[in-house]
Amino acid sequence: MDNLSKDMFVIKGKSIEKMESISRPSLSFWQDAWRRLRKNRAAFVGLCIIIFYVILAIFAPMLSKYGFSTMDAANQHAAPSLQHWFGTDATGRDQWVRTWMGARVSLSIGLFSATINMCVGAVLGGLCGFYGGKLDMIMMRIVDILYGIPSLIITILVMMVLGKGVAPLIVAMCVVGWIGTCRFVRGEVYRLKEQDFVMAAKVLGVSDFVIIVKHIIPNIVGMLVTNLCMAIPGAIFQEAFLSYIGLGIAPPRCSWGILAKEGIAYLRVHPHEVAIPAAIICTTMLALNLLGDGLRDAVDPKLRGTE
Amino acid sequence: MTKYVIKRVIAAILTLWALVTIVFFLSRLMPGEPFTNPKLTPQVIENMNKYYGFDKPLIVQYFQYMGNLLHGNFGYSMKYTNKTVNYIIGQTFPFSADLGIRALTLAISFGLVLGILAARKRGTKIDFFCVLIAIIGTSIPDFIMGALLQYFFGIKWGLLPVALYKGFKYTILPATALAFYTLASVSRIMRASMLEVTSQDYIKTARSKGLSEARITIRHQIRNAIMPVMTILGPTVAAVLTGTFVIEAIFAIPGMGKYYVESVNNNDYSMILGMTMFYGIFLVTANLIVDILYGVADPRVRIGKK
Amino acid sequence: MKKRLLALAMVVAMIVATLAACSTPGSDSGSGEGEKVFKYATNTEPTTFDLTKGNSIGDNEIQHAISEGLTRNTGGNVTPGLAESWDISEDGCVYTFHLRDANWSDGVPIKAQDFVYSWQRLVDPEVSSPYAWYLDTIAVKNAAAVNAGEMDPSELGIKAIDDKTLEVTLDYPMTVLLSALGMQTNLNPLRQDIVEKYGAEFAATADKNVYSGPFVLTSTENNLYVFEKNPEFWDADNIKLDRVELNYIEKADTALAMYENGELDYVRLDNAVVENYKDRDDYGIYLNGNVDYCYINPNSENKVWANKNFRLALNYALNRTEYNQLANAGMYNPYNALCFPGLSGKDGKTYGETYDVNSYAYPMDGDVAKAKEYLDAAMKELGISDPSQIEIEFVTTDAESNKKIAEVLQEQWQNALGIKVNIRQVTYADIYGQVYPTFDYEIGYAGWGPDYDDPTTYLNLFRSDVNWYTPYGNPDFDAKLDAAQKETGDANKRMDLLNEAEQILIEDGAWVPLQARNQSYLLSPKMKDVTFYSFSINIDWAYADVAE
Repeated sequence: MDNLSKDMFVIKGKSIEKMESISRPSLSFWQDAWRRLRKNRAAFVGLCIIIFYVILAIFAPMLSKYGFSTMDAANQHAAPSLQHWFGTDATGRDQWVRTWMGARVSLSIGLFSATINMCVGAVLGGLCGFYGGKLDMIMMRIVDILYGIPSLIITILVMMVLGKGVAPLIVAMCVVGWIGTCRFVRGEVYRLKEQDFVMAAKVLGVSDFVIIVKHIIPNIVGMLVTNLCMAIPGAIFQEAFLSYIGLGIAPPRCSWGILAKEGIAYLRVHPHEVAIPAAIICTTMLALNLLGDGLRDAVDPKLRGTE
Repeated sequence: MTKYVIKRVIAAILTLWALVTIVFFLSRLMPGEPFTNPKLTPQVIENMNKYYGFDKPLIVQYFQYMGNLLHGNFGYSMKYTNKTVNYIIGQTFPFSADLGIRALTLAISFGLVLGILAARKRGTKIDFFCVLIAIIGTSIPDFIMGALLQYFFGIKWGLLPVALYKGFKYTILPATALAFYTLASVSRIMRASMLEVTSQDYIKTARSKGLSEARITIRHQIRNAIMPVMTILGPTVAAVLTGTFVIEAIFAIPGMGKYYVESVNNNDYSMILGMTMFYGIFLVTANLIVDILYGVADPRVRIGKK
Repeated sequence: MKKRLLALAMVVAMIVATLAACSTPGSDSGSGEGEKVFKYATNTEPTTFDLTKGNSIGDNEIQHAISEGLTRNTGGNVTPGLAESWDISEDGCVYTFHLRDANWSDGVPIKAQDFVYSWQRLVDPEVSSPYAWYLDTIAVKNAAAVNAGEMDPSELGIKAIDDKTLEVTLDYPMTVLLSALGMQTNLNPLRQDIVEKYGAEFAATADKNVYSGPFVLTSTENNLYVFEKNPEFWDADNIKLDRVELNYIEKADTALAMYENGELDYVRLDNAVVENYKDRDDYGIYLNGNVDYCYINPNSENKVWANKNFRLALNYALNRTEYNQLANAGMYNPYNALCFPGLSGKDGKTYGETYDVNSYAYPMDGDVAKAKEYLDAAMKELGISDPSQIEIEFVTTDAESNKKIAEVLQEQWQNALGIKVNIRQVTYADIYGQVYPTFDYEIGYAGWGPDYDDPTTYLNLFRSDVNWYTPYGNPDFDAKLDAAQKETGDANKRMDLLNEAEQILIEDGAWVPLQARNQSYLLSPKMKDVTFYSFSINIDWAYADVAE
């Protein structure tokens, strides 16, 4: 200590600017999420598969020499070959073209109806859970009633009013589709709103809106994404079920669900007719789940900043 | 709590009344008639309409139906002549419920175990295995899952009976097929929910108190993480117990699922209403129980409180 | 880690044990030693066991085994049933039946009054039987008026002269009456005291009924229908089977798997899987009587349907052989006319053998050149310059097989004629409840199963005064049918008149014929004397036997 003399130190002065500056770039919540998502290899693979399928859905039917409804009596139930990459169906139609034509219908129905359902459900569920009381009581009884009405009746009536096609199908699925998410979000919000950080925000006088957006939503986004990934196959198969009973899209158009349904009749004789659509659906779901897990981790506020 | 439950029971009765009323009128709006036999002549259809009272004004029919309903009478099926809806439900419900309980037991127990394991061993092979099961469960639809199980276990390897419902070994395949989807969603949600609570302060507190990992998982994590699972189980329980069309058809089980779907397809009005009412009772009860359980799982939660 | 695995294994074992310990609602029915048992499956659930209200082939098949008519029709072979003998009046309009001594399953004698009660109940508007129209189609006097509520049921053309003598009066001679009495079970006797005792619950379960047939129903629970030999049946000595079990199994695949496991002795085969089985010894095929075709609505808002040339263009454009290959895996018989070829024709030959349909009907492989000629003529008459301006709507139900049929027709018509075909799929309740009854369609897929063994069962649908399914009408066609009805003496001449009527429909393009349906099946080789039939009954096992 004795060797230290005053002249060994220099006052460099203090700079207010430097004290206030942030050494690393400031990242908003979503910027940080995107950064973390890119680093997650599995999620990235999932994203690539989905993009790949979307590209095929757009271009494969255009580039093939076969029409999606062209029948060929000489080529019924052909196994996959160089001519027909995915084989042909009972009427000799090329399955490769039909698979990607079906992808257009299935992917749009799956993504749109699941997303709409999630958004509507999250907002309504959030309100119910946050405000509780009478609002919750009434909303939940409405939910009970809607759940209780056979969904087939609703679909038949929606189709009767709006006609047939992809858009009416999405509408029909959305009439009751949101209630699952709604109940789910409501339960989560009930749990979260009693937690300390919400309490702290309330005590600090933060408005309800900010509490919901800043504190509650980030905490349930992960669960919502998991839910969404499971809702998409649900929507795809609901479409197949509806097509099966004549309420889906009009023939000769098709979807993955329809292909799987048609194929299952030949499980014992021509297994490829069900195996291919099933495999495509499975890989799509795998991709969506990988992406979903990545998203979940990326948006989890508790994992923020950790690598 | 008692006050809350009483309030909810009254609300449940009102809900059921609203449900029946809405479905009563919606079902009449559906295109088509309940008498769909291709051989019916116009004269015969006229007589049948009179017989079932469809020639009366709709509002009169509604009050008649509600009157019968108050006596617990769902009326006669139009397709299955001479059979009351009550009789059909009484015949078929035991099968659906039995299958449903087995499937739910499988789904919940294995789903929870897989979800917890996956969360605890996050990023390992076990986690991946659990994700895989979940993906298979959600992305293979029941009609393919059922047919595959039947084909391999029943026909190809001859290990289990192909169909019917006459004893324990008959229940294995349909219960497994039915359980898969619920199992997958339970495990996925449980995993996500477990991860959600892992970084909570009370877990850290517990850990710093020196509690064993097992104790932390059981006492603190699971109890807090199970709420979202209960939410999805409410309607699932109601749906699974009242019959599933596809699985019952594949395994030739005399359950309720077929009548539920078929009644809508056939415009069998009294059957639609009876089935809806029956399902509605289950649904409302299940959701009520879930709401009460919220409070049990997490004492801080008070449903209905502002 | 080992501990944890052990714990997990214990949990699994506990769950399995719990599930295993709980008994299931159904129970296995044991079968006695040395019994002759026939087990089979159906994919249509019986809707009722009240024979008055039976309304499908499935219902009728069951009644055929548990009730007995005045005659018994086994695969077209008509033998005396409860009527020992009968006399027919000279004009062919009055039948007098003499009943034999026979008992109900509870030992009470069967009387002529039981028939009277049953027939009156069938047409009584208060009872509202779905098959009330049947008595009118077989020309029983006053049947239509009673059903419309214009006459009292007692004025129906059936009378009990005494306990053992029954008199039936017809409006006009009906050559197929005896065969119809043996197969249409709505006409079998009923016990008034039993029906009134149970009221609305009559026949709801197996014990709330009495039986007059070779078998009695002992259980209808849980989709399993059990029949046991009726010792009171008048011909019980010739009934070989002791017990029959009918399983309702919706999925053909499931039933097939059970057959292959030896749990069933008979199953129907789906067209999808036939190629794997058609070379086996237990494989068989029968015509089930259904003729499938498309109805056309000439009064449609779409003007093209009123144009005969356009309708003919559609008929000629169709390659029915290829259509059948694509839509039905080649399993059905492509067909270009209306009347089921298996109907009785002239001199013991079938209708299909009597007349060479191909000589006057549309070519089986289609004729696109001729179709285009018709289309050009039609477009000229309608003032249309380009076929792509023509847009038609094809309506069908939601069944998977129907969708495929619609897709193939759409493809063929669009390719051959250059017109646009849209498919509209509706529910079963919609198509038979609304679309056809209100003629809310342009062209629709349907079919007809014969109600009795005569061409009129098909041809009557197209009469101008029958506004059912199609509003089509043609006075020449009606005239031929009227002439045939009056032709009582010469059966061959009558048949020719009916055939000429069918040809008028073909020249008019009144509808679009497609196929006569087959049913493939597997039948265990140990079964003997199981009969297949095309009219109201498909499988008849009442007199079947099991080889030792």
